[in-house]
Amino acid sequence: MSKKRILVVDDEVALTRMVKLNLERTGNYEVRTENRGPMAIPAAIEFRPDLILLDVMMPGMTGDEIAAKLREDPALSHIKYIFVTAIVTKAETDSMSANIGGNVFLAKPIKAQELIDAIELALRD
Amino acid sequence: MAFKQIFLRLIQYFQCFFIVGLLLSAQAEAEVGITPINLSPDEQTWLREHPVIRLAPDPNFAPIEWFNQHGDYNGITSDYVRILEELLGIQFEIIQGSSWKDILEKVKKGEVDVLSAIIRSTDREQYLAFTEPYFVAKRALFSNRELSGIEGLDDLEGHKIAVVHGSWMDETLSGKPDMLINRFQDLSTALTATSLGVTDVTGSALDAMAFTRSREGLTNLQIVGELPNDLLLSFAVNKNLSPLAGILDKALAAISPEEASRIRSRWIEVAETHFWEQPVYQYSALGLLTLLLTAMAAVVVWNRTLNARVQERSKQLYEAEMQLIQAEKMESVGRLSAGVAHEVKNPLAIIQMGADYLKDVVSPADGVHEVIADIEDAVQRADRVIKDLLDFSHNDELQLRPEDLNVVVDEALRMVAHEFVRRNITTQVQLSADNPPVEMDANKIQQVFINMLMNAAQAIGKDGKVSISCATVEFEGDENSAMFQPGESVLRLTITDNGPGISKDVLERLFDPFFTTKPVGEGTGLGLSVSRNIMELHSGRLAICNAPTGGALVIMDFKLRGES
Repeated sequence: MSKKRILVVDDEVALTRMVKLNLERTGNYEVRTENRGPMAIPAAIEFRPDLILLDVMMPGMTGDEIAAKLREDPALSHIKYIFVTAIVTKAETDSMSANIGGNVFLAKPIKAQELIDAIELALRD
Repeated sequence: MAFKQIFLRLIQYFQCFFIVGLLLSAQAEAEVGITPINLSPDEQTWLREHPVIRLAPDPNFAPIEWFNQHGDYNGITSDYVRILEELLGIQFEIIQGSSWKDILEKVKKGEVDVLSAIIRSTDREQYLAFTEPYFVAKRALFSNRELSGIEGLDDLEGHKIAVVHGSWMDETLSGKPDMLINRFQDLSTALTATSLGVTDVTGSALDAMAFTRSREGLTNLQIVGELPNDLLLSFAVNKNLSPLAGILDKALAAISPEEASRIRSRWIEVAETHFWEQPVYQYSALGLLTLLLTAMAAVVVWNRTLNARVQERSKQLYEAEMQLIQAEKMESVGRLSAGVAHEVKNPLAIIQMGADYLKDVVSPADGVHEVIADIEDAVQRADRVIKDLLDFSHNDELQLRPEDLNVVVDEALRMVAHEFVRRNITTQVQLSADNPPVEMDANKIQQVFINMLMNAAQAIGKDGKVSISCATVEFEGDENSAMFQPGESVLRLTITDNGPGISKDVLERLFDPFFTTKPVGEGTGLGLSVSRNIMELHSGRLAICNAPTGGALVIMDFKLRGES
């Protein structure tokens, strides 16, 4: 079984590194990280991930804006998304529901196992 | 403005009362009962030949007749005189004598033609011709002390008697040698003498004495006896003018008994009573008094209402101000919390992920796993603080549904059951089965319950009791809250513990954000302020005080549907 490709986008370099370490250690994932929001789009086009782990709040381009842009490309329509954020409030999720509705939404700090479970669940759908 | 309107309205009412009073009293005067008279040709001739007839009233015999301080002729007889003038088409020349005695002298000398109020007597018939009596007056005796056994003039023997000089009483008593008669020029002087104790008793017409007593303020005088044989007052003319007596008789006969009665009542009432005792004034005064009392009552009530309103408004303003300050504080804390949460959660996520990774790659035998477990605990604790902070600033997102409060309480108790068992704390729960449903976000209210129950457990420490009860009660006025009106029905849940209670300085700061009495790391100091905010978002109230029986008392009031 081929490894699933996961693109991790977060402006926190250390966090993306920790996520990469945890996911790759399972042997099930090929992980690429990106710390600049706007660069996530060319990275996705090039890397062709099965799932993108997207930080909501990033300078330059927010997670939901990145997702909206990528969903415009039919070639990338298969990509699943998991959004992570430092602040989870109803107002926040409501305001972005058009773009993140139906996707998995996780609050930091998240345990590695919870993240893996969420990814597995998203990829199975 | 309102005062001015009330005052003007009062004046209008008083004017109405006064006018009605005047109309009622004037009605009597409007109806005059006088019939025309038929004079013989001789009588008519006689009158033409005597165009001016001189009439001398008793100058001081009020209310029968007298001259007032301006020299105006007043009294019952003065009314008769005016009617006679009208009926006969003549004019009396009014002669003002200095005393009764004086006018008797004048008529004898031919200086006066007619006396208007005189009692017929044999002596007087020698020089006067009398008309039929036109006025009947009761005779009485006045004294300044109790005199018993006075039923007739004969009983006055041995008493000093005051009479008007030349009066009928004077003439009558003069024939009794044993009487101690003191003669005075007029009734006022006679009564004053009796009032001062110079004389024992004054005898005269009852009406005249009553009038004079009032006018002169001789309040110590009282009636000590009424004498038989009323005084019959007539007009009397100089014998030289005897046809005039017949003419006057015809004219007097034309005056109906009703008219005579009106004349009498007009002067007797005036005479016997003070002006303020007259109906017109009494009605007006009564009306005015009623209005004044009503107005005063209205003003008092209005004042109280106004005062209550001012206090209510002040209270509302104060509460609104407090809420504004609180809202501003919350907004600041909210902004701060959101910023802090974002900045802290990322490093926490890194630590968490790092710890998770290390846990997998390091052998448990090295003891590193314990270190990692401590790190994870620290991350969870820090995360809880951030979560509280966010709750504190983002608790306006309620999912309101009608809920059974009992169910929410049960769920909260289930959540803390483990902690209560561990501390050996028992619970006593009294919930009413028919509590009405309450609009609430059950998760939030449950969070409040858990907070309160955990606080109680921590206050008790070990081995204690927590009582929970819930009932519909009436909100009381002294329970300060902008959410409820006094008398409003509220669903009240109380939690009482048997812990040490709360000290005064802690009570004052209980709801301050970040205020805590718990050891470092065990509380953020946000629990109570978050709880209170949650209750207020539910239009409810959270209050904490010391229970009368000791320990702390938590009161949670919920708004009932239909109550505003």
